[in-house]
Amino acid sequence: MFVARSIPADHKDLIHDVAFDFHGRRMATCSSDQNVKVWDLGEDGHWTCTANWKTHSGSVWKVTWAHPEFGQVIATCSFDRTAAVWEELVGESTEHGQKNWVKRTSLVDSRTSVTDVQFAPKHLGLQLATCSADGIVRIYEAPDVMNLSQWSLQHEISCKLSCSCISWNPSRVHQPMIAVGSDDANPSGGGKVQIYEYNDNSRKWSKVETITVVTESVKDIQFAPNLGRSYHLLGIASKDVRIISLKPLRRDQSSTQTSGHSKFDLRQVAQFDEHNAQVWRLSWNVTGTVLASSGDDGCVRLWKANYLDNWKCISVLKGDGSNVKLQESSQVQQQQQTLSGGAMNGTSSCLYQNKVYPIVPQGKPPCH
Amino acid sequence: MHTVIEAPINAISTNKDASQVVVAGRNVFRVFSIEDDAFVERCNLRVGKNLNLNFSAADVTWNPVEDHLLASAATNGAVVTWNLNKPSRSKQELVFNEHKRTVNRVCFHSTEANLLLSGSQDGFMKLFDLRKKEVNCTFSGQSESVRDVQFCPHHYFQFAAAYENGNLQLWDLRRPDKWEKMFTAHSGPAFTLDWHPDDKNWIASAGRDRSIKIWEISHKPRLLHTVQTIASVARVKWRPSRKYHISSCSLLVDHNVNVWDIRRPYIPFASFEEHRDVVTGIMWKNDPYVFLSGSKDCTVYQHMFKDAVRPADRANPIGIDTNVNGDLGLAFSDKLLVAGKSQTGSSMLPHFFRSKGPDRSEQFTMASSSAVIFESVDKSTGLEWFIECATRYQLSGKSVEDLCDHNAAVAGSLNKHQVAQTWRILKLLYGGNTATPCPPRTVSVIGSPAVGEAHKAESEKVNLKQQLDGHLVQDHNRSTHTDGENKDTGDTSTAVSEDESDAESSLSLTNIASGQVNQQGDFFFGDGELETFDYPVTMANMDSMQDWTLPTEAIPLRHEIQDRLDSPDPLQNATDSPSSANESEFSSQAFGNAENATPMYNLQAIPFASQNPPWEFSHLVCDMLEYFAEQGDVQTSVSVLIILGNKMKTPVEDQKQEQWFMAYLELLTRFRLWGIANEVIKLSSHRAVASLNQQSTTVHTNCNKCFKPLTRAGWLCDRCKALTSTCSICHLPVKGLFAWCQGCSHGGHLEHLREWLMTHKHCPTGCGHICEYT
Repeated sequence: MFVARSIPADHKDLIHDVAFDFHGRRMATCSSDQNVKVWDLGEDGHWTCTANWKTHSGSVWKVTWAHPEFGQVIATCSFDRTAAVWEELVGESTEHGQKNWVKRTSLVDSRTSVTDVQFAPKHLGLQLATCSADGIVRIYEAPDVMNLSQWSLQHEISCKLSCSCISWNPSRVHQPMIAVGSDDANPSGGGKVQIYEYNDNSRKWSKVETITVVTESVKDIQFAPNLGRSYHLLGIASKDVRIISLKPLRRDQSSTQTSGHSKFDLRQVAQFDEHNAQVWRLSWNVTGTVLASSGDDGCVRLWKANYLDNWKCISVLKGDGSNVKLQESSQVQQQQQTLSGGAMNGTSSCLYQNKVYPIVPQGKPPCH
Repeated sequence: MHTVIEAPINAISTNKDASQVVVAGRNVFRVFSIEDDAFVERCNLRVGKNLNLNFSAADVTWNPVEDHLLASAATNGAVVTWNLNKPSRSKQELVFNEHKRTVNRVCFHSTEANLLLSGSQDGFMKLFDLRKKEVNCTFSGQSESVRDVQFCPHHYFQFAAAYENGNLQLWDLRRPDKWEKMFTAHSGPAFTLDWHPDDKNWIASAGRDRSIKIWEISHKPRLLHTVQTIASVARVKWRPSRKYHISSCSLLVDHNVNVWDIRRPYIPFASFEEHRDVVTGIMWKNDPYVFLSGSKDCTVYQHMFKDAVRPADRANPIGIDTNVNGDLGLAFSDKLLVAGKSQTGSSMLPHFFRSKGPDRSEQFTMASSSAVIFESVDKSTGLEWFIECATRYQLSGKSVEDLCDHNAAVAGSLNKHQVAQTWRILKLLYGGNTATPCPPRTVSVIGSPAVGEAHKAESEKVNLKQQLDGHLVQDHNRSTHTDGENKDTGDTSTAVSEDESDAESSLSLTNIASGQVNQQGDFFFGDGELETFDYPVTMANMDSMQDWTLPTEAIPLRHEIQDRLDSPDPLQNATDSPSSANESEFSSQAFGNAENATPMYNLQAIPFASQNPPWEFSHLVCDMLEYFAEQGDVQTSVSVLIILGNKMKTPVEDQKQEQWFMAYLELLTRFRLWGIANEVIKLSSHRAVASLNQQSTTVHTNCNKCFKPLTRAGWLCDRCKALTSTCSICHLPVKGLFAWCQGCSHGGHLEHLREWLMTHKHCPTGCGHICEYT
């Protein structure tokens, strides 16, 4: 399962975000103590803090890594109404192996707390989306990837609702797309997740969908890595965890030119209320097959789809690293066996047999 | 509760019992009484014939002793007192024009009603005696402009001043010549200070450096706490009867009134967000739950503490992220963990957890988080298999069936049975098509007529097929049982029973599969060679039907084995001896997944089944690849695409292929498998993908004489018609390694330089530099 390794984070206030870099060998943490720490994975498997510096004059809500192609770059956003881009000075390190990070830019357009910051997927170049508590999503771009100090504000999207989180759609074959979640507490205010898409013709971002089923305040939102999928999976953390699939409906080529935005077939593929409390954060694994969620119950739950596309809990972790105690352990264990793909018993491979449907298209699968 | 006034407010002040408030600004000067639900105007001080600057105020203060006395500071340097008891319409009483510049602050003595202190931009502070109507004494800080002066509420003679250069001074009224203490409090101008209402040694100051600092001033001033805010701080005021709470408002940017707990200086304890412009004055109503604020937005608000926004409650207490290996990075608020603990009734509490009282409204102690990394050691969440597959898959250099076999074995060994099965099926589908120049082909000439005969004979009698199938399975049963080497009897029996039940249902399957027979002339041999774990079935059949085929069958197998001696695959080794193929290794591998194996028997039956029209399966393969991609397994899709290449009759959509390739490449780079990523790019038949490793492959060089880019070869400059990068010793262009001294940047052939520097110390060019060769 998992081996817990405690990290002496030693932040002086709450840690609000943890982010791994592209290769998973560096980690950044940010805290209300206005500092960001960068941790590097040593050869011995230990994480050591290689940088710790004051980034903002308010709580740092989120930290995120840029694609390493752009260098060792992180972006932070803060209660102090700014977002900042930081770059590590390569080759320079002080005694004790501490690395130097320098502020490349400070994005000061927001009038309220900047609640999330996310780099665009690499194929869109060096772009940065921020969202703020007053409901404005801003898209910045560094036209010259070699010059991280010059960012121009490309778009401002007004979402009407106070924004708490943002997520880029990682797919490279679809139009650039952003999902925005709102922590607006009023359930009658309508859907709290909005999907915006960039239109090449109008050169504008426009709203393509509002996910109306989510009316509670949304704390986190994450697109799953797309890989080869023809649809998008969107994880939403609210009072419960939801997974929404967005399948782009094919449009004929002619209409693409003239009419506006894509249409989607929205489907809620899963909804879990096992946390039984506010769910704060979500994270997908790299293949988009396992979703981790964590909430006020102090637990992390891992969700995975089985062969029938039913999402099931495969694991529950305690937030303090004390090991996994499952109330529903037996059931989950069983689930795991079926899902691990490694089971040597008959039933699980039978399930897998069914999955090879393209090869056995007609007739009944042999084991039924 | 609020009231709107016609002009921006510069300052507010309340009377002794906080029942009235005076509101002053450039164009406003009014007194309101504070009723239960409204502000009621008592008096307008800005009346008279000539409203000069004396009627405008930068600051205002109410006498804490005499309820009818007010003082205001004007921007023209005048200090004005007002007497509300004056019968006339104008309440203006005294005007002191002592200061040369703006007066920033006026302050009454806390107990002596007639003492008024002012601090001005001109750098002086003056103490006025209202009875004598004159300046009692003048204090010169000998610093810069005075931004704030405040009498100490605990000490009759003491007052403090804040200066624009960031200094704080403590004064004694009895010593007007020199300050008692002075220290630098802020890195920019200090705008405000406030004495702690209870602790007489505490003083708070704040300034443009956006920080609020709490000082202990009993001996040597000592910094106790720093609160970092997001904007320059204009005013600070301690919250009454709360030792650690202080309210602040900003000079710009931030329109909120924030109340901080100095012990947790990062997040405001409470925020009041009503104002639309910067707040200029805060007055607590002698009550920790109510205060008034005036703002540039022309409003005065009375705030109740229960209406406050609690930013800490909105702050996200959890951070989580998954890295490429499936490890979870996690940061949890300790508070949550404690809560979670008590919920689940777990006993052990780590020592650093402190339980916290339930009274949310006043509880605001330090919060902290613990960070944990959950390292994934589990197959269901980890991605070891991905790396293993990526590194061990063979994508080129062999025939399709070899590659499929190898990859099937790899996938099988990693417990990816579905993928392994897919490879095997692909081998069946495509293996025969490859014109592999392997030895079996020659044998197939011998074998195929016999098979062909068998086929013909069978195709005439359709019922025979079913019999044959049954026969086949029985044969298989017999072979497995008689051999008796199968250790995994449980599995075998299920396999067998499945087989038997399949005998009926296999009709469709055989039909499907039989299509291949027609496509591939020597399918039988292609199959026999490769389907190792089907082998016994084949053998059994052969035995029962045509004894003479066995030797010919054995030959190609031997060849195959020799071919693949280097293969690490245990399955292959299992076929070492055809007669005892059903040995333990075989059974565990092949029969371990009885169901997996089952269709293979059915497929195996193909050669003996009836002839049917050609079966077009390409689109099914497409579907299958798409299925894998939809499941998030682009690895399989891409690997299959590469191996099959253009053999697929109905190719996958171009865009989709690119999407898969790009996704797979990104995954590979995430795992830092650059070599494999490059191989995938190289093997890709997709144009956009294949061109990926032709990007950024140009190295531009400049001539070392004219510093212009070299256009053609790297050693001749077209512009200055000279050789570039010549060796300093032989003066010929260096085409291999150019060794150069980092000190003088001269160099040349490595060999030449080495020789030169063996005997000389100086640079061969004569530049005088003493080069070092290491």
